[in-house]
Parts: sequence; C-alpha cells; structure tokens
Amino acid sequence: MTFRTFASLCQAVLLGSAAAATAVAAAASAAAVAAGFSITGLDPEAAGLAIFREADRRASGYGDLTVDLEMRLKTESGKESTRGLGIRQLEMPDDGDRLLVVFDSPKSYRGAALLSYAHKTEPDDQWIYLPAVKRVKRIASQNKSGPFLSSEFAYEDMALQEVEKYSYRLLDTRMEDVGLAYEVERIPADRYSGYAREVVTLDAAELRIQSIEYFDRQNRLLKTLVVSDYGLYEGRFWKPTRMLMTNHQTGKSTELIWRNYQFGTGLDADRHFSTNSLLRAR
Amino acid sequence: MSGLRQLGPAILFCVVAGAAQADDALVFGSFKNASNAENWSSRMRVLLNVDVNVVPARGGDGTDIYRVVTAPLAEAESVRVRRIADNRQLKYWRLLDVGTEDAAVARAEPPAALPPPVRAENPQRRPNDQPPARPVEVIEPAAVRSSDVVQMLDIDLGAQARAFFEEGLDGQSKFHPSVSVTVEYYRAWDDERQSLTFTPYYRYDSEDDERTHFDLREGFWSLVGNDWDLHLGVKQVFWGVTEFNHLVDIINQTDQVENIDGEDKLGQPMAHLSLVRDWGILDFHLLPGFRERTYPGPEGRPRFFVPIDTDDATYESGAGDSRVDGAVRWSHHLGGFEFGLYHFNGTSRAPLFDTVVDGDGTLLLRPHYPVIDQTGLDAQAIFGDWAFKLETIYRTNFPDDYYAFNAGFERTLVGAFGTRADLGLVVEYLYDDRGDAAFDTFFENDLAVATRWALNDLGDTQALIGVVWDHDSNETIFTLEASRRLGETWLLLLEGRAFAGAADLDPDNPFDPANKGASVAQDDYIELELTKFL
Repeated sequence: MTFRTFASLCQAVLLGSAAAATAVAAAASAAAVAAGFSITGLDPEAAGLAIFREADRRASGYGDLTVDLEMRLKTESGKESTRGLGIRQLEMPDDGDRLLVVFDSPKSYRGAALLSYAHKTEPDDQWIYLPAVKRVKRIASQNKSGPFLSSEFAYEDMALQEVEKYSYRLLDTRMEDVGLAYEVERIPADRYSGYAREVVTLDAAELRIQSIEYFDRQNRLLKTLVVSDYGLYEGRFWKPTRMLMTNHQTGKSTELIWRNYQFGTGLDADRHFSTNSLLRAR
Repeated sequence: MSGLRQLGPAILFCVVAGAAQADDALVFGSFKNASNAENWSSRMRVLLNVDVNVVPARGGDGTDIYRVVTAPLAEAESVRVRRIADNRQLKYWRLLDVGTEDAAVARAEPPAALPPPVRAENPQRRPNDQPPARPVEVIEPAAVRSSDVVQMLDIDLGAQARAFFEEGLDGQSKFHPSVSVTVEYYRAWDDERQSLTFTPYYRYDSEDDERTHFDLREGFWSLVGNDWDLHLGVKQVFWGVTEFNHLVDIINQTDQVENIDGEDKLGQPMAHLSLVRDWGILDFHLLPGFRERTYPGPEGRPRFFVPIDTDDATYESGAGDSRVDGAVRWSHHLGGFEFGLYHFNGTSRAPLFDTVVDGDGTLLLRPHYPVIDQTGLDAQAIFGDWAFKLETIYRTNFPDDYYAFNAGFERTLVGAFGTRADLGLVVEYLYDDRGDAAFDTFFENDLAVATRWALNDLGDTQALIGVVWDHDSNETIFTLEASRRLGETWLLLLEGRAFAGAADLDPDNPFDPANKGASVAQDDYIELELTKFL
C-alpha cells in the first residue's frame, strides 16, 4: 500500500465525515489497484460482481484439497452436539467443483457420505450414501434451504458458491477491524434458495469473506455468519479456521472448525468423485 | 550431454544440444499416473492459457512417468507463462530445445540425501535469461502417502424387543426380545487403492431358532483404479429407488428373518467389476454360489401360516446352490435424470413353493428355486422439489413370465409449516402382472402413501409413516419407522406394522390368493431397538 493510500485511510478514520467517505473510496480503489484488479468507475452492480469474480479467481487454481471439519451445534438452551466430517474437493476445469463429504462421527453416521457436483448455472447434482441399506440416493438439490446435518448451516451455505449463481451490488466501502472492507449484497438467482438476499463483508486487501448476513424470504434478518482465523496456504490461498453461524430467530448456533487443510493431494475426478467412490468413502 | 549423466548414480539428467534459438517448453510436474497427469495438464491449460500436453517419459528409476509440458513457447510467451506460474508459486522447470528427439528424456527426482539438482541449462547459450525456477519435479503427491495404512473398527451392539398385540396363529408368544452384534473392520493401504472390508453379523433371538443366526454380511477385497473398481469376496449391492417395495434389487438374498421389509440382505459371494465411463457406469457381477432365503421358524413371527421347510430346498439348476449366476448393469445420470438398466441370469432369489407333508403329517412349504432371466430398470427424475421414481422388472420362468412395476413420486417440503422440519410426501403405485396369483408379494395392485419427517433436531429425529392399501381386497398395511440418536453413541429405533382388512384364515381354503393377509392378521407389532456404537 502506498503512503497516499495509508494517509487517506487515516483521514477517513479520523474525520468520519462526508469528506472521509470520499477518502475511503479513494483508498479502496487504490487498494484494489494494488491487489491487481480495479472497481474504479464501475456502477455498484458491476463493482460487486467484479469483487466476487476476483475473489473466485484468487481462490481458483488449488487443484484439489482435503480438510477435516468439526461441527459444534448448540441449542438456545445450551445443549451441544458435535459432528466430524472429512471433506475432499476437486477443481474441474470446465465446470463447477466437486465435493465429497465423508461422515465420521457420531458413529451412527459412519460410512455415510455426500457427493456434490456443482454447476455454474444448472442445479447441482447431489447424492447421499446410506451405508445401513447400501443405498446411493439422489437428493434434490432444490432442497438446498434445508439444514445440513441438523445444523444452522443450510445445504446451500455448505455448497460451493459459484459466482454465476448470484447477482451482486456493492453497498458500502468502509473501515472495519480487518482494515478496508467491502460490503456487497448478493441475491441468489435460484428460486429454491431460502434467502431473499445476503449481505457479505470482505476485506479489500485479500477479498476474504469476513461475515455474511442472511435474510429470509420475508427479508427479515435470519442468520449471521462470522468467518475468522484465516491462514495462508500454499502461499496464495486464504482459508478460514472458524466459522460461527448464529440464527437470530431461534437463538441456535453452529460453529465450524476447519483443520488440516492439504492441497494437491492427487485426487482424481473418477476415482474419488464418482458415485462409485461414495460407496467406499471412509 | 553425457557429462551431465555423471552427476550422481541416481540422477539421469539429460540436456540436449540443439539449435540455440529454438523455443523452449516448461514442465509443470511429472506423474506416475497418466490420468493424474491429464487432470493436471487440463488445469494448467486453463490457468496458463497455453497448449499443455502430457508427454510419456522414463523416470530415473526406470519406471514410466508422464510429464505435463507446455507447447514450445516463444520468448515473450514464455515470460508471460512463467510470470503466472511464479505468481501462483507453481513449480516448473524448462525442457530445453524441444523438437530434438531426446527432449523428452526425464530427470528423476533425486533422493533427499543428494545435493539439489543442477540447472539443466547451458549458461552460454542464454546468457541473458533470468534464472529459471529451481527444477523440481512433482512426482505424484499422493504416492508420498502410499505407505499409510488406514484402519477402522466399529462394533454395533443392538438390543431389540418386538411386542405383538395378540398371540400368533400357532400360539407363538407376544414378546420377542433379541440381541445383535455387527462388527465392521476396514483396512486400506496402497493410498486406499486396496482395501479389505469384513463385516460379520450375529443375532440371538429368544423365541425363534431360525432368527438366531450368523451371517458374513461382507468380507471382500477391493482394488480401485482411477476409472474402475474390482471387488472380490462376499459383498452387498443394492439397486433401486422406490420406498415400499424393492423390485429391481436382486444381487443379494433377502434375510427375511430380520425384517419383512426386504432391506436386510445376506452376503453374496461375487466378483464385481465396475467401470466408470463418460457414458455411465458399467457393473459386471459374477455370482458363484447361492444363498437360500431365510424364513422364520415355527416360533417366529410374522410368518406365513404354514411353516417353511428351509432344510430341503430344491433347485432347477443341476448345480443346485453352486450355480454361477451373473448380472450386467448400466447406470447413468444426465442432469436431474438417472437410471439403471440390468439383466440378471441365475437362480431366483425368491423361491416357488411346493406343498409337502412331513413324517408327522405336518403340512410344510418347501422352497424351489428356479433359474430365471430378469431384466430390470430403475429410473428417477427430479423436477424442482418433485422426484419421480420408477422400478420395473420382466422375469421369466417363475413359473411363468411376468412383469411388475412400482411408480410414484416424492415431494419434499423444506421447513414445513414454518418449522425447521422437512416433510416428504411419498406416493407409490405397486403393480404385479400376476394379480392375486403373485403368491410371494402383498403388492400386486396397491397404492402406498407415506409422510417422511425429518425434524432436523440435535438427535436427527426422523420418521416414515405410511399405509399400503390394496383396493381390490381392501387389505391394508400400516407402517411406522422412526429413529433418533441419544447422545453421540446411542441410536433408538421404533418400528411398527399393522395388518388390516384381511378376512380370518379359512381352514377350507387356506391358500386363498385373494386373502393373503390372513396369515399375518394377528401379527401387528411394535419394535423398539437400542443400538450402542462402540
């Protein structure tokens, strides 16, 4: 960041005036340019899209990854339950990414697995494997608004979010604890989504999602997701360690803890992400 | 060239002399597996926006390797690509002077103890070049972990109580407690390309000697390639999409003493080869050896009013229960539509029955297993929150040829009635061409309706409540299946069935095909099962 950018940021923070807003905007565009893309001169819709395109571009090229996920579910009365999942993800050159979720705990879930092929515009393909009856069951991805493993995360929150599945609008650029941040509204294109809109906050420097506010179909605030403890992997991928989803309408919450990210483990589209691989996922 | 070969005994590092001005190419890793190389190459193609190819080569240890190599790049293009790669921290090295035949000779990854590899470049030829990235070959990252052995052992202990509302037709008791144990051992090695699965099962039933039984549910070795799987041993395979009746499912024999819903299966010896292709999955099953269907003994319930003599089954095949059966299935999915089409030739899993009288003058049914051909199709199409389902079979020689189908839909309402519960509505029509003569099924012309509840609570409470109704005979079966986890290691299962609408058993016409429900009319029950996962 150049000195001028830094100076205008200080100005913005100190003054807190209308003039500061201009200063922040100037700083924002400077930050954007520094980061290799620019939203200068774009209208709010184009700017919002540009931010998510760029965030997607930066998250692309990982090839494949594996990560362990622990979900901690908490009810409004404080009762807790945890689930352990193993996640494998593969980047596909011409399509959405592929995702395999292997259920590890509680033990009654063991051997169950979920396979998802994300598509850029078409509905995703999803299958679940039920080991007790050795049955692979196709699930309607249109049921995306339902809870994932009884947590506060809906299937659509866990799914791979392709840029093309939303329309965007940059609402605000302002200083947050993480530094300069963009606030972007995104509206799901899919009518089966449980949300009327989402308000996403990303830091301008690295375009990492810091928080998401979810508004239900009646446009009431439903949930807030706070994403934190980002780590840099392979020198270029920012991945979070913690995500906390709080449901404001029920008081329930779910915390996700991501551990043991590994990149380039040599996963294969057919061997690890076919419906056959569901049957033997462990 | 030859001098460079002397760098170390394990290093075969060939640099080729050639025209000094030739374009060069960049190597983005080498793989022992061609398909991984293809995968990586297609990603590089997109990322770098240049032509990237897979070039077979020979590694230093003499094995075949596959290199991911860009097309020869002009200087400016090469600079652009290297900049992208440096930004992305991708490892690459330069393959100089492509176009000469030695260009594809590989350098092997040196053992860690050896000094860092020397640049494969003649400094005199390109004095102005900035130093390229250190030439590092990425040899199949997954192979690094190939010595890892993954092992899992799970033991499930079940305690089950079945309570019948009335005594049985033959005075069987009302209360049937039993316990069961399932052990699952899994061991994988060779980067999970090979694995062993071993799942023995045992149930002890206090009332029914036939229900007290052991079975090897699964015990097989798997070898997994990139686009094929091979499984040898005792295994279970399920096919089908509908809820109330599993018409197309045929590979495994039904373990009828466990439950009359047909979802518990006996292990079947098989060689199973599965090929993953762009146009779907092809499954080949070779099935040596036949498992007889299990039936409740005289003390068991619910059962047919005449006990089934499982000790003296007869076979159409001269090989008896040793005939080698076979099945081929093609399955595929296109968007929200998917299907599986198969043909099975072998000993029928369901028997025909001969009436026999044993030495004591007791009437018995003796199973006879004919050799059948069966073609089956299962299909499912998803439109929005509707799933349409179809299962249909055509079977020969049982004893005649016939067809049957189940067709229906399931509609899911997410967040039903403003709660976080999901409600599914299942409607299926079950048809059997044989009509009442279909002695082996209740479902010859029936309508089934159910609601499926998923409460999405901490205990993952689920329930399926349904009714199957035969509008000809008015026979009706009510079913309930519900489950809920208790804490992290316990699962509670509640199941119930009630049989209504059948007339009492007519002693003068006990085999009345229009009154098949008579046998189980007194067998309404509730079952509670508690499972502990160790």
